[in-house]
Amino acid sequence: MSKGEDKNHQWICDKCKVQLKLKKVKVKYLEGNFEVELMKCPSCNIVLILEDLARGKMLEVEKGLEDK
Amino acid sequence: MDLDKLLETGDKCIHDEPPSCEAACPLHLDVKTFISEIERGDLKKAYKIMEKRIPFTKIIGRICDHPCEAHCVRKEAGGAIAISELERYVVTEGYSPPKKTLPMPKNKGRVAVIGGGISGLTAAFDLDRKGYRVTLYEKSNRLGGGLWSYAGKGLDSEIIEEELQKIAAMDIELCLNTSLQKDDLKEILQQYDALYLATGEWQEKLQINPHSLQVEGTSIFAGGGLIDRESMVMAASSGRRAAISIDRYISKVSLTASREREGIFETPLRFETEDEEPLNRVKKTEAVFNREEAAKEAGRCFKCQCVKCIKACSHMRSFNISPDAYVRQINHNERIILGTHYANKMINSCTLCGLCREECHLNISMKAVVQETRESMVEKNKMPVSAHDFALKDMAFSNSQRFSLVRGQPSKEQSKHLFYYPLISYSKYVQGLFLGTGKTAYLFYPGCQLPASFPDYIEEIYRYLVGSLKGDVGIYLGCCGAPADWAGRKQQADENAKEIRRRWEEMDRPTFILACSSCSSIFEKYLPEIKTISLWEIFADYGLPVSNNRIQERHILNVHDACATRYNTKIHDSIRKIAYSLGYQLQELKYTKERTKCCGYGGLVYFANRQQAEAFVEERVREGSGDMLVYCAMCKDLFVSGGKKTYHILDLLYGNATKETGLRRMPTLSERQYNRAMVKKRLLKEIWGEEAMTAEEEFGYNLIISEDIKHVMAERYILLEDIQRVIDNAQRNKERFYNVENSSYLTRLRMDNVTFWVQYEEMESNINILSVYSHRMEVVEE
Ligand code: SF4
Ligand code: SF4
Ligand code: SF4
Ligand SMILES: [Zn+2]
Repeated sequence: MSKGEDKNHQWICDKCKVQLKLKKVKVKYLEGNFEVELMKCPSCNIVLILEDLARGKMLEVEKGLEDK
Repeated sequence: MDLDKLLETGDKCIHDEPPSCEAACPLHLDVKTFISEIERGDLKKAYKIMEKRIPFTKIIGRICDHPCEAHCVRKEAGGAIAISELERYVVTEGYSPPKKTLPMPKNKGRVAVIGGGISGLTAAFDLDRKGYRVTLYEKSNRLGGGLWSYAGKGLDSEIIEEELQKIAAMDIELCLNTSLQKDDLKEILQQYDALYLATGEWQEKLQINPHSLQVEGTSIFAGGGLIDRESMVMAASSGRRAAISIDRYISKVSLTASREREGIFETPLRFETEDEEPLNRVKKTEAVFNREEAAKEAGRCFKCQCVKCIKACSHMRSFNISPDAYVRQINHNERIILGTHYANKMINSCTLCGLCREECHLNISMKAVVQETRESMVEKNKMPVSAHDFALKDMAFSNSQRFSLVRGQPSKEQSKHLFYYPLISYSKYVQGLFLGTGKTAYLFYPGCQLPASFPDYIEEIYRYLVGSLKGDVGIYLGCCGAPADWAGRKQQADENAKEIRRRWEEMDRPTFILACSSCSSIFEKYLPEIKTISLWEIFADYGLPVSNNRIQERHILNVHDACATRYNTKIHDSIRKIAYSLGYQLQELKYTKERTKCCGYGGLVYFANRQQAEAFVEERVREGSGDMLVYCAMCKDLFVSGGKKTYHILDLLYGNATKETGLRRMPTLSERQYNRAMVKKRLLKEIWGEEAMTAEEEFGYNLIISEDIKHVMAERYILLEDIQRVIDNAQRNKERFYNVENSSYLTRLRMDNVTFWVQYEEMESNINILSVYSHRMEVVEE
């Protein structure tokens, strides 16, 4: 994960001009509700999802939930 | 969904029924597997397979009179497989001593067996194994009876001795030199729960039930020479069946229930050999086959199985499944409430093309099964959203203001500026307008895919129709609802049909002119009351449109019929007629007309399982040597994507002079929507002189999208429009991330049930797209 986190740290919130912070964030899909740690803007709450995560783990969980 | 009916359908499938050799073997040797093992060279396994069904294997394996061979379907193609020779080979080369089995407690009852020939021996052996105390009476001084007549004739005495040792080693009481007569029976019967009479002859005529071998109304069962004096294998079989009957009799279970398949029976399996190359029976060079001869002979066996539909269906082959197993999977899928629905992906990978039914002599339709299953999944909320989401949104687009349109033929009043010489004298279109009545006789319904793939032809076709047909021709743009039907959303398809019906009634019930095979099948299914005619039929019957632009070369074409209209002979004939009158030569594919295959788009497989769609494409494009001629927009797009030169019939009619038309790349998903919107705009402007009411959204910048990104967009079902909206939101609301290292931006926007992400850089008034992706999971930003 360390490489992915490095990539995370390249990004700041453009509106608030602040560093992102790793925070617990709620994610939902179909009947699934989870809490995961993601990078978000502490001021406006926008959450960063990088491509690797969206196309990797997230897609996998989506597919899993769809076939339940 | 009616699961009993489903299972019934599965049971009808003969895929796994025994081949005729196995059914004709009184002991039902699994010939197919046996022969496969020989071919693989695993003789020990082959022997074990024999041992499982054939008692006294080493004897019968050498002297069996092989009724199986007369029924082998290889008969007509070089001669029946030498099954008995192969058995002889395996008992010679593949014997290995059996595993020791623990003796059963003998507490189920007492049985007498009279006669020590192969039938009595088999019954005694089986009954002992089932837990009976058996006494075997033999009139002579040794066991074996008729077996000894083979000694020296294909059978060594030592082998007979050795096999008979089996009986001696068992817990069977032997009474040799004991000849029992009719009058002795009464007394014997008092000592035993049942008796098996397997003597060569008997003093009185017995009434033997042919199925249970019971002597009417008694505890006596009779077989062996008493029912068949000729065949050794029949004798063994009767011993085996008698043991089953006696076990049932003593356990007070029905003697007859589900025993139809004991002894010789007729298998429902059909295996067609017409297309098979004849191969002659392998001759042995010595008394027994050698390894090479045996393998070669085994190789001639078809390993009979019904695979007719499977052979034709890329989908079933991809999932390595037969209809009977497919049905069992669906049944399982339907019955689980919690747990993983493994079969979802498979169910969404059938193209619903219907070829399986056409191939099956029992008319089993996996299309019907899968269609019903999808509907049931939707009903139970078990349909994976992502499978069809894009296609359904695309359908919504086509039925929105962006594309949807209904117009009657421009009135005479509206058109009067065209009615001047010489225009009216040479333009059939203008003549058509001049003859306008104000009552719409025909409504041209090109569907959603044709305008997406061939935006340039729609207007020309419309003019042709107005000029050729008697009666006013209107136009109706929209989507017939096929995506909803394929996705199993019956209700949505119904509602869509209802809207079409409403329009039709409003226009006083015109005849629809259809140009898409999917539309044709949807109209047939949901709107049977609407009279339709295919555009191809009109071309064939009213004369081809004038065009001086046609492709010059006349090469040989393979017609690929659309699967949605496999039974529409009028369409098949019209297409061929058009191609002939244009001067093309046609070559029919093996799978053609009612037996045509799907291009891979059908059933929304293209969206649910792209690899599966590609497998269909690949298979189909390899079937013919010529270029392909199709009449469905999606067929063309898919085949071209598979590298095949493919002409749509409209390419031949209107196509621009080059042969390269056949390889024109399919428009991307974004371009398809754009094309539809353009078709509407252009028609309104050119035919009705109206400006489209829906202005395209305006953006104050220019998007730069590389070919690579376009490819990614198509793969991930991300439209240009989606990207525009995401960026628009980012630019206006600054809801975006900034990369401190490379100065790019990353932004997201959730639309409906999908969150789209775009990474981009600003270059003056240009926006350069760096990557795009999406996810369905919702991230709560709070
Ligand atoms: S070809 Fe093979 S499987 Fe088919 S009937 Fe003959 S021996 Fe049996
Ligand atoms: S409908 Fe077509 S794709 Fe589906 S199982 Fe039948 S032949 Fe195969
Ligand atoms: S053609 Fe297919 S569905 Fe029909 S019996 Fe054979 S394997 Fe079964
Ligand atoms: Zn912020």
